[in-house]
Amino acid sequence: MATTPDLRLTRRGFLKAAAVAGTGALLGSLAPAAPAAARPAAADAPYDRSAYSVCDMCFNKCGLIARVRGDKVVKLDPNPKFLKSRGMLCGRGNAGLRQLYDPDRLRYPLLRQGERGEGKWKRISWDEALDLAAARMKEIGEKHTRCGMLFTAGSDMQSGFVHRLAEVYGSFNVTSHESLCLVSNNRGFLDTFGEVPFPDVLHSKYVVMAGANRFEALVTPDSMDLMAAMQGGLKLVVLDPRRTKTAGLAHEWHPIRPGTDMAFMLALAHVIVNEKLYDAVWMAEKAYGLEQLAAHVADKTPQWAEAECGIPAADIVRIARELAAAAPQAMVYPGRRSSDYENSTQIRRSFAIVNALLGNWDRPGGLLAARQVGLKGAFPYTAPWYDDNPFERADAGRAPIMFEEEGSFVHMREAVLSGEPYPVKGWFIYKTNPMQTAPDRQRTVRMMQAMDFVVCVDIAMSDTAWMADLVLPAPSYLERMDPASGLQGSSACACVVQRDPVVPALYESRPVFDIVKGLAQRLELGEFFDFTVDQYRAEQLKGLQDAARALASDGVYYNPSKVYGIYEGRAHKTKSQKIEIYNQRYAELGLDPLPVYAPPATAPERALRMVVGRNALVTHSSTQNNALLHELVPENTLWIHPIAAARLDIRPGDRVEVASPVGRGELAAQLTPDIREDTVYMLTGFGALSGGLSLVKGRGACLAELLESRADALTGNAAMHETFVTVKRAGAGKEARS
Amino acid sequence: MQRTVLAVLAAVFLSAAILGTALAEEKGNARKGKYLFRKNCRSCHSPEGGKSDLSPNSMTQAQWTKAFGNWKSVPCHGEWGGLSDQDRTDIFSYMHDYAKDSPTPAKCS
Repeated sequence: MATTPDLRLTRRGFLKAAAVAGTGALLGSLAPAAPAAARPAAADAPYDRSAYSVCDMCFNKCGLIARVRGDKVVKLDPNPKFLKSRGMLCGRGNAGLRQLYDPDRLRYPLLRQGERGEGKWKRISWDEALDLAAARMKEIGEKHTRCGMLFTAGSDMQSGFVHRLAEVYGSFNVTSHESLCLVSNNRGFLDTFGEVPFPDVLHSKYVVMAGANRFEALVTPDSMDLMAAMQGGLKLVVLDPRRTKTAGLAHEWHPIRPGTDMAFMLALAHVIVNEKLYDAVWMAEKAYGLEQLAAHVADKTPQWAEAECGIPAADIVRIARELAAAAPQAMVYPGRRSSDYENSTQIRRSFAIVNALLGNWDRPGGLLAARQVGLKGAFPYTAPWYDDNPFERADAGRAPIMFEEEGSFVHMREAVLSGEPYPVKGWFIYKTNPMQTAPDRQRTVRMMQAMDFVVCVDIAMSDTAWMADLVLPAPSYLERMDPASGLQGSSACACVVQRDPVVPALYESRPVFDIVKGLAQRLELGEFFDFTVDQYRAEQLKGLQDAARALASDGVYYNPSKVYGIYEGRAHKTKSQKIEIYNQRYAELGLDPLPVYAPPATAPERALRMVVGRNALVTHSSTQNNALLHELVPENTLWIHPIAAARLDIRPGDRVEVASPVGRGELAAQLTPDIREDTVYMLTGFGALSGGLSLVKGRGACLAELLESRADALTGNAAMHETFVTVKRAGAGKEARS
Repeated sequence: MQRTVLAVLAAVFLSAAILGTALAEEKGNARKGKYLFRKNCRSCHSPEGGKSDLSPNSMTQAQWTKAFGNWKSVPCHGEWGGLSDQDRTDIFSYMHDYAKDSPTPAKCS
C-alpha cells in the first residue's frame, strides 16, 4: 500500500503547473502523445512515467496525462489529443493533484458514535462496515419494503453500479444531482425536439445566452468553442442579472430582471413570426404548431416584453432580426443549470421554441442530435421482483412529468419527512452532497434525522457524510479503474474514455464498485455483480474494434459517426414526429402546450432576490476545501449593488447578515455595480458544517441554508431563484458605525 | 397573484394525479412489466438472442398500443403461453410508458 507522499505544492508551483499545462496543449500537436505505459526518462526528468486518465474535478471528464515519479503523481497535464476539451485542463483540473493528496481525505470506515452530526466517530474494519450496512439494509427492506431505501449517486463513472444495486435490491427510489440542476432544461428541450441537444457553438455566428455563464460554469467544448468562435466573428448577447465573466466578455450584456427570460423569448418569437423571418419551407416540413404559436405570441410585443424584462423594445427587435439573419447558424444557447424558477421547464421551452424558429436543428452552428458512441450494455440482468413493494416511487405524483431515473430531490425529501405515501428510512449516498447542494439545509438535516440508517461513500468528509451513520472512504479518480464512458463534445467528437489506476489507492479507500459488490454478496444478490470492472469494460467495448488500442495509445477513442443531418429521413421522438412547438402531450395532460408567461413574484419590502451562480475555480461544494483552489477562492462574499448597499448603510468590507424565511448566514459584503440593484448573489459550498473540512468549516455563509425549498411545477427540479433575503450590517443596531 | 398560481398548480397536480391513477388502473404495473419483459422477452429480443433487439424505445406509444391491442398477430405470440392477461397488460404498460415518444423514453431495456 502506498504511503502519503510529502507533496507540498505551493500556490506558485500550482500556477506554474497550470501555465505549463496550457502550453502542453500547444506542444501536444508537435510532440508525440505520451504512452500509457512507462517509458525511459532522462535522469533529471521531473517524472519517470506518464499515464492517461480523465479528470473528475467536475462532470466534464476532460482527458489528461498524469506524470508520475515513483509512486507519486507529481503533475497533471492536458491530453492534447482530447478533442472534447480542446486539449485544455482548467484550474480545477490542475488542482486534482491536491484531491489525491488532501490531508483531509477519509482514510478508513467510520461509524457514528454520538448524535447525528456531532462528529464523534469510531474506526471500524471494512468487514464490520459492510456487514453492518447489509444488515441494516436487510432490516429496512423487511420492515418497510425494499422501497424503504433511497439511493442517491452523483455524476461519476461508477454511479451506474449504485443504480444496479438499487434495482436488484428492489428500490425504485433513486435520485441524482440532476434534479438540483438541469432536469428542467432537459425536459424543455426533450419535449420540443424529442431529445436533449448539444449546441454547436464553434460553427455558430450568433448566440443569445440566458441562464448560463459559459466562461465560468465551464462546459467542454462549449466554453472554449465560444471563445474561438467569438474570435472568428460570432456575436454573443448575454442576459444575466449579474455581469458574469461571460457577460463581461460578451458583445452585449443586458441585466435582465430576474425571472423574465420567457417574456424576452416570447417577444423574439413575436418578431420572427410577425416579420416572417423564419424558413417557411423548413418549418412546414420539420415543425408542428407554428400557427398556434403565432396566435400565442400575437400580443407578446417587444414593448410588452420591455415592461416585463427591462430590455428596451428596440433591442429586442434588433436581436430578433440579427438572430434570424444569422440563422440557421444562430441559437438561443440551451443552458444547463436550470434549477431557478417554479416555471423553469416552460422557460426553457420558450428557449427551445425560438431555436425551432431559427431552423437550426441538426445543422452546423445550431443544435445537434446525439451521435453514435457505440458502447454496449454489459452483463444484462433481470432484477428480482418484490411483490410487497409499493406501486410507485415515493416522490411520484408530486410533479406531473418527472424523469424516472432522476426523480426530484426536493419532493423526495418531502416524502421522507411526511412518511407519505410510505416510509423511506434508509439512504445510500455516493459522492454527492445534498446538504450543500439542495435548498433549505435545515430541511435536509431533518431528512437525515428522519432516517434510521444513512451510509455515505465519498473521498472526503462532506457535510452529507458528516450527518451519516456510516462513512466509507472512496479513492480519488487517479487511484481506481472505471468502466468506459461515452461522451459527446458537440460537433467536436463522440468519444469513449476510461480510467485505470495511476497509483495504488491510498489508505483503506475502496471504489464504490467493491462496496456495492460486497453489499450485494451479503444480501444474497452476488450473482448480479459476478464480474470485475475490467470484465465489465471489455463487454462495453465489444463491437468497437479499434477502441482498446486507441484508448491505450491516445487515452480516448473517437467514433467517426455522423455529426450533421442525422435527422434526414428520421422522425423526431415526439407525438407529431416533428419538432413540437406546440406540445400535444402537454395539452393532453392539462399542461400549457405553449409556454405561458407569469411575472415573477414581487420582492417583499426591503428584500432582495438571491440568485445562484458559478465560478470556474469551484465545483458545487466539492472543491472549496482543496488547498490549491482555496487559496484562490478562500471564502464567499455577498455581491450587492452600491446603491442597494447605501440604502442599508453597508460599506465595502462590512460583514453582513443575510436572512431568508428559512435560514441566515454571515459573510463579507462585496459592493459591485456588476449586479442589479434588486438582486444579490453568493457562491455556493461555503459555511460547511463538517469538522472534516478543515479549510471551510464555518467559513463564509452557506447558500443552501438560505434558499427556500421550491420546485419547478412540471419536473420537481429545485427552484433556487425564488428566495428573497434581507441584508443588514452584522451587529447593526447594537453598535453605531464610527 | 401567488394564490392564483397556487390554485393553478393544485389543479394541475390534482388532474395529473387523477389521470395517472386512471392510466395505471387501465394499463397495469409498468415496473412489474419491466421485470416480466426482461424475464420473458429479452432472452430472444436482445443482441445475443437472435431476434430483433427490442426495448420500449424501439417504437412509439401508438405502435405499442397497436401491437398489444392485436397481440395474437405478433409473430412470436405462440411463445407467450406462460403469461397471464395481467402479465401481458403489465408488459404493455412498461413498453408504452417508456416508448420513444413517451415523456421518459427508456435509456436501455
